[in-house]
Amino acid sequence: MKLVLFSGGFERENKKLNQALVELTGKNNPSITYIPASSYGAEIEFREFVKRFRKFNVTKFLHFAVDVPFDKVIYEEAFKSDAIFLSGGNTFYFLQNLRKKKLLKDLKKFVERGGVLAGLSAGAIIMTPSINTAGFPEFDCDENEDGVMDWKAMGLVDFEFFPHFINSKRYGDEMKSYTELSKYPLYASRDGSGIVIDGKDIKFIGEHYCFLKGACFKL
Amino acid sequence: MVTDIANMRLEKNREKNTIKSPYSQFGKINGKHPLQTSAPDSYILYKARKRKNGKVSFFHFDLAKEMGLISTNHANELNPDLEKQILETFSLVIINEYDIENKRKFAKEDIKDNFYMATRYLQLQHPDQVGNSSGDGRSIWNGTIESNGVTWDISSCGSGATKLSPATSIYKKFFKTGDPTISYGCGYAELDEGLGTVLFSEIFHRNRIPTERVLAIIEFPGELAVTVRAYPNLIRPSHLFLHLKQSNLKALDQITEYYIQRQSDNGSWKNVPKRRKDRLLYFLDKVTDAFATTAAKFEDEYIFCWMDWDGDNILMDGGIIDYGSIRQFGLFHHEYRYDDDDRYSTNITEQKAKSRYIIQNFIQAVDYLLTGEKKSIKTFQKHPNLKRFDEIFSDCKDQNLLYKLGFNLKETNYLYKNHRAQVKAFRKVFSYFEMAKSKKGIEKTADGIICNAIFCMRDVLRELPQLLSVRKKILEPAEFIEVTKSSYATKNDLIENSYRNQKTQEFQKKYLKLVKAVVAISKKDESKTLLEMATRSSIINKYDRVTGDSVTCIVEEVMKVKPRMKPSSIFDLSKELSNYQDLNPEKKETPSRPKHALMKYIHEVIKELREGI
Repeated sequence: MKLVLFSGGFERENKKLNQALVELTGKNNPSITYIPASSYGAEIEFREFVKRFRKFNVTKFLHFAVDVPFDKVIYEEAFKSDAIFLSGGNTFYFLQNLRKKKLLKDLKKFVERGGVLAGLSAGAIIMTPSINTAGFPEFDCDENEDGVMDWKAMGLVDFEFFPHFINSKRYGDEMKSYTELSKYPLYASRDGSGIVIDGKDIKFIGEHYCFLKGACFKL
Repeated sequence: MVTDIANMRLEKNREKNTIKSPYSQFGKINGKHPLQTSAPDSYILYKARKRKNGKVSFFHFDLAKEMGLISTNHANELNPDLEKQILETFSLVIINEYDIENKRKFAKEDIKDNFYMATRYLQLQHPDQVGNSSGDGRSIWNGTIESNGVTWDISSCGSGATKLSPATSIYKKFFKTGDPTISYGCGYAELDEGLGTVLFSEIFHRNRIPTERVLAIIEFPGELAVTVRAYPNLIRPSHLFLHLKQSNLKALDQITEYYIQRQSDNGSWKNVPKRRKDRLLYFLDKVTDAFATTAAKFEDEYIFCWMDWDGDNILMDGGIIDYGSIRQFGLFHHEYRYDDDDRYSTNITEQKAKSRYIIQNFIQAVDYLLTGEKKSIKTFQKHPNLKRFDEIFSDCKDQNLLYKLGFNLKETNYLYKNHRAQVKAFRKVFSYFEMAKSKKGIEKTADGIICNAIFCMRDVLRELPQLLSVRKKILEPAEFIEVTKSSYATKNDLIENSYRNQKTQEFQKKYLKLVKAVVAISKKDESKTLLEMATRSSIINKYDRVTGDSVTCIVEEVMKVKPRMKPSSIFDLSKELSNYQDLNPEKKETPSRPKHALMKYIHEVIKELREGI
C-alpha cells in the first residue's frame, strides 16, 4: 500500500512530500489524477497543482471532478493513473460525493493494485477509518452543511489524521479529550508535514504529535 | 442684539466649517448632457420629479469609484448620506405628456431644475419603422460624469412612460406612468430585470465582453425598480439609423460627429483624422471592426443577442445593452429562437448576417454624409467594408477557436499567421460537431423554440489535451463521442455511423497537427505543450459556466432572500459570482469554496443548467 497524507500549507513546505509521492510511483514521469473536493474553482487549483508537480518533470495529469457528472473515458483513465491526489476542501462534501458516485471502492482497489493514493487535509482524512477529525474542535472544523450522517471513511490506515494542527493547549486538550474514547491513535500534523506509507514502512515528514488514550507524544 | 450677534457668529462658523461633501460629484448628474447641444433632433426632453418610497437595493461601489463618484478609499458600505445622495440623483420619474394633458399637480420642491432627455432611435417593433415615434420608452439619460479622462453616460431604466414607447405608438395615446393596463410601455421596470442585468453584465465585463454596467438599483414597492446604467458611450447604431431612415442629413451628421468626438475624447479611438472625409471613413472602419469582432465573439461564446437591422439591442462598439433578450447558451443551440408573441427572434447564427447588414447601413449612412445623396442600401452590397467585415469575422473565428483550444497568445498568433489552412480545416471539423443537433427536431421551450445541440464542445476541449497527453494516442470513435456528448443527446442521436466515426478521428488528427506545428517552433515537446493547453483550456472551457437559464434561477433565488440582504451584500454577491465565472486562464485568484448558502445554491444551479440556454 502506497499512501501519502499531506497536512496542508504552502508548496515550498511540502516539497519533500511531493517528491515522496512521485518517488513512490517508481516512475520518472508518472501520470497523476487530481480529484478536487469540490468543482467550485477547481480548474484554477488544478493549474496550481500541475505547476507544483511539473517541477518533478511530471507532464501527465488528469483533472477528475466528482461532484459533477463525468464520462466513462475520464473515469477509467483516472483509475489507470500511477497516482491519485485527493485535494483539500470540505471533508463532508467530498466524502458524500465520493460515496454517491461509488468511488470509495474504486479508490481502495486502486490502492490494492499498487497505485499511489495521496490526500491533502480533507483528502487525507478520507483515507483514515472515519472523518471524525473534520468535525472537531468546534473552533476549527468543517461545516457539515449537507448533513452527512455516515462518517465512515476508507479505512486504509489504522490511525486518524488531524491536519493543520497548531501545537497549543487549546488544540491539545481537544485532541486528548477525543482520543480518550477513540480506538485509534490520532496523528496531528502541522502544515508542511505529512505521512508517507510504503507497505509496512511509515515515514513522518515534518512535525507531528501522536494522541493516544488522552496522552500526547511528539513524534 | 446679543442673539443677532450670536446668530451671525454661528452662520460664519457654519460657512467656515462647510467642507465639500464627499458626494459632491453626484450633483453633476443633473439631466444636462452634451447631446442636447450637439444633436437637437435626437431626443425629447422631460421635466422630472422625485419618486418617493425608493430605497437603494444595489450600488456598485467599484464602478462608482472608477467613475469618480466616490473616493477610491470609500468603504463598500452604504451609509445614510450616500443613500440620500443616490436617491436624490436617481430616484426620479418624468412628468410626461399624460401628466400634462391631465393637469396633474406635483409639489414644486419635488420637481428637478433641469430637463432630462429620452433619446430617439429606430426600433423595428414600432409600426412606422422609420423612427418617428420610437426610442427610450421607459428611460431617461441622467447625464454624464468625467473621470480620469473618460466621460461616462448615465441613464436610468424605469423612470416613466415616454411618448417613444411602443404602447403610445400603437394605441395613439399617452399613458400614465405605471398604468396597469399595459405592461411593456407603462414606463416602469422590474427589480428582477435589474438584478439579472447586474449579475450577467458583471460576468461579461469580467470576461472582457463590452457591456453596459449597473451603477445602482433603486427599489420601489411592488418589486419595481429604477436601474441606473453606465457606459463610456451609450449611443446605439439605431440612434444614427433613425436619421438615416428619415433622410435627415443634418441630424445624422450631428450625431455621427458627436459619437466620433466622444470616442476620440475618451481615448477609445486614437489618431482620429481631422479632415471630414477621412474622419468618416475612419469611423466606418472602426464600426466595421467592432461589429465583425462582436459577431464572432457572440457566436463563439454562445451569446444570444437579438440583433436586427435597426441596430437597437446593441451599442455602437458592439457592447451589450438591455439584457431583456440576452442569453448565454451552454451548447451551440443554434436553432433557438425567442418567441416574442407576434414574431420569432433571430437565431445565434443569423447574428452575423444581421451585424453585417448593420454595417451595410453604416456604409449607406457614411456615403450619404459624404455625398449628400441617399442611395439605395442595395447599392452597397459589394462595398469593401463588407469584405473587411467578412475577413475580420473569419479572422476572429480562427483566433477565438485557437484561444479556446488553450494555445497561448504567442502560439495563437503563430498558428494564425503561418498555418491558417490547418486552422480553417480544424474549424470545419469542429463546426461539424458543434452544429450537430438532435433528431428529435424542433421543440418548444418556456420562451421559444429549440432543436437541441447534442455535443458539448467545451467538454471535449477541456478533456482532450489531458487524455492525449496521458495516453499518447487518439481516442476511439466511441470514446470521443462519450466525452463530447451532451445531456441533450438521445440514444438515437448517438447511434454510431461510419461518417461520424471518421470525423472523430479527423478532429483529433487535425487538433494534433496544430499542436505539432507549435511544438516544431518551440522548445517544448508535445506532452508539455498539451499540458499547458490542458491547464488553460480547463479554465476557458470551465465545466460550470453560467447560462441564461441559470441567471434566471439565481435572480429568482436572490429575490426570495433579498429582504434579508443589505445593498452591499448584492454588490459582494455580484463580485463573488463574476470572480467564480472569470474564465481568464491567467487569473491569479483562486476562488475559495463558498461559505454562504446563496453562493452554494448558485454553484448547484450553474452546474445543473450548464448545458441550457
